[in-house]
Amino acid sequence: MKFKIITIITLIVINLVDLNSQEIDKDSLRIRPLDEVIVTATRSIRKLSSLPLPVTLISRNKIIKSGTVRLNEILNEQTGITTVFDESGFEGVQIQGISSDYILILIDGVPLIGRSAGNFDLSRIAVGNIKQVEIVKGPSSSLYGSEALGGVINIITEESKTENLEGNLSYRLGTFFQQDLNLNIKQTINKFKYSLFINRLSSSGYDLKPELNRPSFYPFRNYTFNARASQELNNKISAFLSFRFYDQIQESEITLDDIFFEGETKENDYNFHFRLDQQVNDNFDLDYELYYTSYGVKELIRSIFNKKILNDSYFYQKLFRPEIRGNYSLGKSTITGGIGFQYDQLERTFFEEKVNFNSQYIFLQIDINPTKKINLIIGGRFDNHSEYANQLSPKIAFHYKINNDFAFKGSVGYGFKAPAFRQLYFDFTNSAVGYTVLGHNVASEKVDELQRQGQILQVVVSENELITPLKAESSVGYNFGTTYKNNNWNLDLNLFRNDFKNLIDTRIIARKINGQNIFGYVNYDLIYTTGLEINTGFNITQNLNISAGYQLLYAFDKNKEKLIKNKEVFARDFETNQTVLIQRNQYFGLSNRSRHLANLKFYYDLTKSKININLRLIYRSRFAEYDTNGNGLIDNYDDSFIQGYITTNISVSKTFSNKLSFQSGLANNLIDYTDQNIPPIPGFLGFVKLNYKL
Amino acid sequence: MNTINKFKITAITLILIGFSSCNKEDDMPVLDIIKSEQVINFAAPQTGGQGQPIGGEFSKFDFKTGMKTTSDTEWDIAFRGTTIAINGGVKTGTADEPDRNGNCGSTIVNGTFESVTNVDGLTFAQDSDVGYAIPTGSDNGWYNYSFQSNIISAIPGKVLVFRTHDDKYAKVEILSYYLDQDSSNPAGGRNYTFNYVYNPNAGEISFE
Repeated sequence: MKFKIITIITLIVINLVDLNSQEIDKDSLRIRPLDEVIVTATRSIRKLSSLPLPVTLISRNKIIKSGTVRLNEILNEQTGITTVFDESGFEGVQIQGISSDYILILIDGVPLIGRSAGNFDLSRIAVGNIKQVEIVKGPSSSLYGSEALGGVINIITEESKTENLEGNLSYRLGTFFQQDLNLNIKQTINKFKYSLFINRLSSSGYDLKPELNRPSFYPFRNYTFNARASQELNNKISAFLSFRFYDQIQESEITLDDIFFEGETKENDYNFHFRLDQQVNDNFDLDYELYYTSYGVKELIRSIFNKKILNDSYFYQKLFRPEIRGNYSLGKSTITGGIGFQYDQLERTFFEEKVNFNSQYIFLQIDINPTKKINLIIGGRFDNHSEYANQLSPKIAFHYKINNDFAFKGSVGYGFKAPAFRQLYFDFTNSAVGYTVLGHNVASEKVDELQRQGQILQVVVSENELITPLKAESSVGYNFGTTYKNNNWNLDLNLFRNDFKNLIDTRIIARKINGQNIFGYVNYDLIYTTGLEINTGFNITQNLNISAGYQLLYAFDKNKEKLIKNKEVFARDFETNQTVLIQRNQYFGLSNRSRHLANLKFYYDLTKSKININLRLIYRSRFAEYDTNGNGLIDNYDDSFIQGYITTNISVSKTFSNKLSFQSGLANNLIDYTDQNIPPIPGFLGFVKLNYKL
Repeated sequence: MNTINKFKITAITLILIGFSSCNKEDDMPVLDIIKSEQVINFAAPQTGGQGQPIGGEFSKFDFKTGMKTTSDTEWDIAFRGTTIAINGGVKTGTADEPDRNGNCGSTIVNGTFESVTNVDGLTFAQDSDVGYAIPTGSDNGWYNYSFQSNIISAIPGKVLVFRTHDDKYAKVEILSYYLDQDSSNPAGGRNYTFNYVYNPNAGEISFE
């Protein structure tokens, strides 16, 4: 067998962590419930239907049917979730109107790192070996600590379920010469399970605006490799090991002042995840986890003619996290707790030196059913951090079952985000314009230094403000909803509100004699996002399922609202050239937020001919990218608005035999993208895919 | 070339009527009519920038004539790139600055142009060796520079109020930094369009 070698290698890897030889006992096999279950919301296995929190679950089946290849594509189709491009052109996910900075991304329960100005690029994640994606909305810092303000996205990878060798090989070809190649293998051999995943994705890029000096999207190729294995060591202990590797090369070229520059951006990501699961007794289990991950980007763009360098930058981040956690069942309740340590390190361009953070944490949660109808979750986490004040993150949630079909649920929780490395240590001066950006921890010293050099005209904040440590950004999130479910249809409704404070923003801290500013990071903004989400699904016939979702969103900055109330914000009406006072109803809200997000999906199975057809319509209403008239907020007079649009995605799958299936699809959009400087939607996309089951 | 739009041609007529209806026996003071005009595409070139030392002659403007001037004394405000100098105080120390020999002062008021009806209660700053009376840099003074669009916008609601070099009062609202108010053409930068109201009567603080 050709996969023998790989199997042997994996066995060797496992043997390295094999603690001692052991007997094998079938009783320790974990229960695999039939109902949809998720682990992210409580860090224990819980039925989706009884959870008191707003949760979105994307199953493997839905991912396969959709024909998507990367995580951002499938997330974009979920109610209340969208991906947006920020002012620097970085893509990130937005949940309940909360931007990517405040959304924790996990893979098998451990965090993924590597963000560009706070944005996690979800197109780094191939979907080919995903079992399910669990999204918990609202703050979850009570379990996960920093970054889990707006929600948690947990990517659960597949494990082997049978003794037979299972696997598939697929090739997909799409517009812009997009090629996606997947290989999956998994098997259970006695008490040993392994799975392997290899993915290669490449594209020749595209150019929506040929008149510009660079293409809209550069060509790239990337590889993902993921091997995971588990072994029962004895009837009490099993070991789990996962290794993941991602590597991408993106080529770039740009013409500036008639000089042609070219280069490439290399990005890579390593994850090592090791865990021992110990079943202490029938009621008590413990997990001992070690996790290490690194993320690196290096970019070099230069002219081959005159050796002039346009960009030469790097970014290397590392995270190490040991954690012990346990679940203790006690009749009507489950107690979940954990203790851990986290080490973060970053080395990058514009930092004077390598910097690191340390934190220790402990969390505890009680999940209790005082009566058959009521479920209560009370939890909290304490984080002690080297760079900012300790955080205590409480959370409380309830679920009240009125009858088998109908339930109420609600939750209130606290979330926080540690100041990012760049907000503390950035030291950057733009050589073209002359402005400077300083991280908070280096600002005071650097301003003093510049003052001694006679470069400062005026320091506009007090010395006290410069030396008071930056606080963690924090939020309180409220979610209240109802769920109704019967055999043929379901309806979920959730009202949400997230109040953020101490949001870190750049502000002028000093003026330089060259007329330019020094920007620093300060706790400043108070924002809120509020709205409602509705999801409904119908099984029209056994073969036809229709679902629809809608999110209404209001997202505003309270400081701006106050300025408007005080009649301090103006705009210029370009038609009349008159300056007008901005009224509250002319304040559109935060950038990149659409008031309405909606989706409508049809899934149709032709069982006899083994054809599956699905159609997904995704609507996003008007939004603005940034302030254009200089008054510091987005109002009706700004002209960076992008009109609402519908994306239409269709895919058709046909299974020919037990082994071979074919899928073809179209992703189309109805927006006039030629106005955009950013490439969120490249227009009409088509693909064909062949899948061979091993 | 600066073209000047005369909004109130009637002003002249009114002045004439004013003269004709008065005679020397009346003790009534004869007031000159308040000027309300728009200046279009007032060029304010500079040299350097982009990290190089900024220089070049300022383009001077005189409220009394409503024209560009090269006079060393009969000027009120002067433009170079995004920087506005006033004829009051002392040189700030950058290259090629004009001598200050008048009593010009300035301040920035938040509000619509119409809402600034007089200078009552305002205090005026002058250029000094620590900087210009109208602060330079994005969001400090009259403009905002957007990193996203690379456009310099006059912040709406910023009314620049001046005491002129010869102690009269004027208010200015900058509308655009670009030629023909077209910010989509970055090459057209350093061309101001602004509205101003000037009260030519000594001691008069009203703009109405």
